[in-house]
Amino acid sequence: MLGILWTPLRAAGASLPPIDALMQALAGVPARRADFIEIKTIAALSEPITATGALIYRRPDYLAKITAAPHAEQLVVDGDQLTLTEGTEASHVIALDSHPRLRALVDAVRGTLSGNLASLRRQYTVTMTGSLTAWRLDLTPIEAGVASLIRLIAIEGTGTTLRTVRTVQANGDESRMTINPEP
Amino acid sequence: MTIARRWRGLPIIVAFAGAVLAAFLVLSQVTIRTDMSEFLPPGRTPVARLMLQQFRSGAATSMVMLAVEGAPPAALARISRSMTAALDRSHLFMFVSDGDASLVGSDTEQVLLRYRYLLSPAVTPQAFSVPALHADMGRLLRGLESSAAPLVSQFGLVDPPGAFLALLRQWIGASQVRSVDGVWFAPHRDRALIVLRSRAQGMDLEGQQRAQAAIEAAFANADPGGAHLLSAGPAVFAREAADTMRGDVTMLSIASTVLLAALLFWRFRSVWVLLLVAVPVTLGIAAAALAVQVLFGFVHGVAIGFGVTMLGITLDYPVLLVGHRKLAEPAADTLRRIGQAFRLAVCSAALGLTGMLFTGIPGLSQLGCFSVVGLVVAAGVTRWLLPHLIVAADLAPVSAGDPAHLLRVEHLRAWRGWVAAVCVAAVAGLVAAGGPRWQTNLAALSPVPPEAMNLDAALRRELGAPDTVLMGLVQGASVQDVLQQEEDLVPTIDALVSRNVLAGAELAARYLPSARTQLARRAMLPDAAALSARVAQAQTGLPFRPSAFQPFVDAVAASRALPPLLSADVAAPLFRARIDALLYSHDGVHYGLITPIELHDPAAFAAALRRSNGRFVDMADEMNRLVADYTGTAWRWFAIGGASALAVIAAGLRSPRRVLAVAAAILAALLTTVAILTAIGTELSLIQVVSLQLVAGVGLDYALFFARRQLDQEERARTLRTLVTCNAMTVVTFGVLALCRTPLLRQIGLTVAIGAVLALVFAFLFAGVLPRDSQEECG
Repeated sequence: MLGILWTPLRAAGASLPPIDALMQALAGVPARRADFIEIKTIAALSEPITATGALIYRRPDYLAKITAAPHAEQLVVDGDQLTLTEGTEASHVIALDSHPRLRALVDAVRGTLSGNLASLRRQYTVTMTGSLTAWRLDLTPIEAGVASLIRLIAIEGTGTTLRTVRTVQANGDESRMTINPEP
Repeated sequence: MTIARRWRGLPIIVAFAGAVLAAFLVLSQVTIRTDMSEFLPPGRTPVARLMLQQFRSGAATSMVMLAVEGAPPAALARISRSMTAALDRSHLFMFVSDGDASLVGSDTEQVLLRYRYLLSPAVTPQAFSVPALHADMGRLLRGLESSAAPLVSQFGLVDPPGAFLALLRQWIGASQVRSVDGVWFAPHRDRALIVLRSRAQGMDLEGQQRAQAAIEAAFANADPGGAHLLSAGPAVFAREAADTMRGDVTMLSIASTVLLAALLFWRFRSVWVLLLVAVPVTLGIAAAALAVQVLFGFVHGVAIGFGVTMLGITLDYPVLLVGHRKLAEPAADTLRRIGQAFRLAVCSAALGLTGMLFTGIPGLSQLGCFSVVGLVVAAGVTRWLLPHLIVAADLAPVSAGDPAHLLRVEHLRAWRGWVAAVCVAAVAGLVAAGGPRWQTNLAALSPVPPEAMNLDAALRRELGAPDTVLMGLVQGASVQDVLQQEEDLVPTIDALVSRNVLAGAELAARYLPSARTQLARRAMLPDAAALSARVAQAQTGLPFRPSAFQPFVDAVAASRALPPLLSADVAAPLFRARIDALLYSHDGVHYGLITPIELHDPAAFAAALRRSNGRFVDMADEMNRLVADYTGTAWRWFAIGGASALAVIAAGLRSPRRVLAVAAAILAALLTTVAILTAIGTELSLIQVVSLQLVAGVGLDYALFFARRQLDQEERARTLRTLVTCNAMTVVTFGVLALCRTPLLRQIGLTVAIGAVLALVFAFLFAGVLPRDSQEECG
């Protein structure tokens, strides 16, 4: 697992535009597992919320966010289906196809992990800064409905590893998720 | 042809040109409508009138359902999305919807958000109490801590009691269609579904044509590959029926004209006769269309189509006149020989058709008016104008026919006993088979082919659209009255749902509560000061900033100043579409439809509705009863028409034996036609009844001409040849009609063609006399 996460960028990528090379490299990772710490700054709340847990990804479209604190929660996205289980409550199953805004949120992370630039560009204006070794992707929603919810998603990484995902909501609320690959 | 003869034909050319010009002027000025609903009666009960009005111009008529199939699901979804976007941009549609996502970000969502504290069932006095708010805020905090935080913060902070979410659940709950890539799909097959509503009314054919063109262009531009497009809905049917009918009428006019011209030319070998024969019928059509326009304000396409064909009968008149003329004979001599039979035939036929005027079915009344006026005018032109033209051009048949041949033919009358026996056998067979089968289903008269109806039903089912045949109805003096009654019914319906009588029901009050309810909810909203205090108290122990719920306090304060949302004020397309399909008004009475979803036990639903002041309507049953109602009246008037025709004949012939012979010939023709139609499996409807009247009309022509006191062999030969020509013209005209695609016209054509042949045969056998020598031979 460790080896996969730290796979260096392939030399062949160098001849492509940097963003394509990055996406190709990301697409080469079949599975990932990492811990996360998410800090949410919400205007309505007098103090930030800190959540911790684990992220699991399997190529091409399985993504799970398992939160341990402050409340146990499992968010699993598999294909078109999103399943949200809070604590011991019954799961909510949602078809992403019927909820374009949710889908946009999910696809920002899932599209990046799977290196699917086409999918990202359907929903966002994508700009890459930095180099292949230390990069940053800025995703700005195209569709007005999504833009009314999300102003920006900024993803930073080194090589094929995602380091942080920062989500800025339209109302100014912000979440910053720091990802630490499992030791 | 010499110059002198050409000069003699000049009056005919002038008359022909004048008649054509008159017809052209009239037909280009009258208002022609092709909508089948205008053909139907207005309905006698308020419910029947409502149904018909809804059928005619209700919101439901502009609904179009599209389906794309024949490609992999992903391709179908892409085509559907592309078409939806293109159609949305065209501005021809009030709304275009291809998935549940359409509500998100729509005008309707804005309206629901703004009016949430007046519209939502979540608004109760307890909802704004400190404990309830505290619980709501706790849930909100949990939500913000969860992964759903972005969604929670968008709607949760402005609405802790969740009034808006409760509204959304109601809206989305109504449609439970499968989704692929956010696009509606049929549950059991790969078929993408789109629902749209045109701005043009369903029966506005030009508007619908533009809409259809836009739909086809959107499909073609969506790079459809092998996929194909299906469309259904009242608007689509109306347009297709009109197209079919227009095609039929064009085909009919061309085919009948060519065939009739060929027939007449073969018989008379003169172009002048062709022009001459066209004069009375053309003037008749012009007068008839004008009369209908003046009396009814418009002319129905079917009335013109059928009326023009019906007036094809008046082609008989000039043919009878020319066919009976001897070369170089003065007009007065010809008229003396055929005058009485001609007058009787015209008067009795006109009287017989008058019955149609009073049937109460607008289409039939128009047809009656058209036929009677056209017939009388054509007869008048034949009687007073044509003799001059004929004499001037000296038109007459090439020959009267060979007398020996005539006698051989007339000997056939010796078989009339046998033929009468065959008639009796046919009628006995008809009686034994339980009489003719009557068609009581209105759909059988519809110009919409059954395949289209089936597609419509399938798409409705797949979209989870509510039942449009069985439904509940409440009526009231105002929209508010209707909405209040519906609100009172909601508990009853919910109880039925829990007993599994039905899965649910669509009703307007679910989307738009009455002003009474909205005001009651508004009265539950605390004022800004009280709410601020409660919110502050409810926040105790929770990490929200003091100002966190200010947007909520402001929203409630704004709601307290909102007037109730009234039906007339709803402009957002999706919202409008929902309530327009459920609320109607007609003649000052307002109606609310309650359309059940998956109705398992109609009887229980009906009983519950009746107990609570509602009404249960079986649309199909209601429509059929309507038709049955009018069919009864129509029969009475047909009988009156027939009786007056018989009275005229009796007065004219003054010979019981000849009256009996004429009546027997016509009755035999009618009964045998019915027997044949029944034997080939045709179910009789009003249309056959009307067609049989026409058969009676031509039968009268034949019988009265055969029944004239015979002058000599030559005259009898002329009559026989002329009537055979007339009959051939009728059979040709109606035979063409029998090839139409419009079921209505096809049935008329078949009935009249069979009937006309039988009428000629029976008139010849029963109304004519046996040649004297053959009577002696047969003893």
